[in-house]
Amino acid sequence: MSEDAAREALAGAQAALLAALVAGEEAPPGFDRERLLIQESGLISKRRRTVARLRPDLAALLGDGFAAEFDAYARGRPKPPGGSHADARDFADRLRAAGRLPKESVTPGPRRWSPFARRR
Amino acid sequence: MGERPPVAAARTVAGGALPAAAGPAVGIGWRPEIDLTVERLPGVDFVEVVAENVDPARLPESLRVLRARGVPVIPHGVGLGIGGAEHPDPRRLARLADCARALEAPLVSEHLAFVRAGGMEAGHLLPVPRTRAALAVVAENVRRAQEALPVPLALENVAALFGWPEDEMTEAAFLGELVEMTGVGLLVDVANLYTNQVNLGLSATAALDGLPLSELAYVHVAGGHSRGGLWHDTHTARVPEEVLDILAELCARVDPPGVLLEWDDDYPSDGALERELGRIRGAMSGV
Repeated sequence: MSEDAAREALAGAQAALLAALVAGEEAPPGFDRERLLIQESGLISKRRRTVARLRPDLAALLGDGFAAEFDAYARGRPKPPGGSHADARDFADRLRAAGRLPKESVTPGPRRWSPFARRR
Repeated sequence: MGERPPVAAARTVAGGALPAAAGPAVGIGWRPEIDLTVERLPGVDFVEVVAENVDPARLPESLRVLRARGVPVIPHGVGLGIGGAEHPDPRRLARLADCARALEAPLVSEHLAFVRAGGMEAGHLLPVPRTRAALAVVAENVRRAQEALPVPLALENVAALFGWPEDEMTEAAFLGELVEMTGVGLLVDVANLYTNQVNLGLSATAALDGLPLSELAYVHVAGGHSRGGLWHDTHTARVPEEVLDILAELCARVDPPGVLLEWDDDYPSDGALERELGRIRGAMSGV
């Protein structure tokens, strides 16, 4: 097999596996499905821990329900382009759409503490 | 007094050079959350920093303090995905190279893993199918990375929860072939060997037998948690005796240029980290 052909085959194989792990697709044949499910959950937990660090306000707001809410959001949904910050934003958007976020916690950040905020 | 040994005492290794301290070099992963701790801990001979977390143009003060003291800092990449089907991203390579230059690093390390495919990010180091065909692809990726980096590259074995059905060789054999084909150095993570022993039934001793330890750049050690009969290499807990036993086994075969403790979250007290470094030293000297 030429290197180009090998590269193409590897691309297909890795994409199919990753789709099973992060996009809710069927596992490619031959893999230990139980282990892939454990890996899928592991990847979601890792995303969840990062989002909890980026948005402690969401973690505090949801309390014990944070993990379940995040799992419901992340399962079958790959991390969006833009990395963990985009992931946190999309999760917050979903919570907001579901009416789970009070208005004031929607836009955290320096704006609220800006001395210029009052002049607007 | 208090000066480091002369450079002549440095041990040159495949993949770079770590200066020899009074004894074998022991290090710890530098993280922003424990920056002052790392500066204060006695007997830290070298550190490692996650390359994606530093801006080479604006190095954290703490890393500059360590560099000024002559402590080697190794940029450790997690996002290159050198085991992926794409050629390594030139921008990611340029950033790794900039990190190496800014830190005057003796080498750069990454993982034998893929982290993205089909436009999706795994956010994790996933195992590569260990076939002859994949080996040719990864070897070319490694060569491209080596060309882009100003210092030698070392690759780390990963912890896996699953294997590929098409695997034709062990990870040790795959890494051995890569070393042969590219001259890349080895970063052996003994906690990952332990993880694969527990989760996949792959003997860590057999892995040590198969790895080209003469090309060892340095070693990783970390703790984790057992859940549901599986070992999770979380880097958030005390190093288990079983991992130290594998380290001792490695040290019985080769003198590692350096051994580094990885701790990534749920940071313990400074004293606890110091004790962990002591336990590592003990395992290295066969105590």
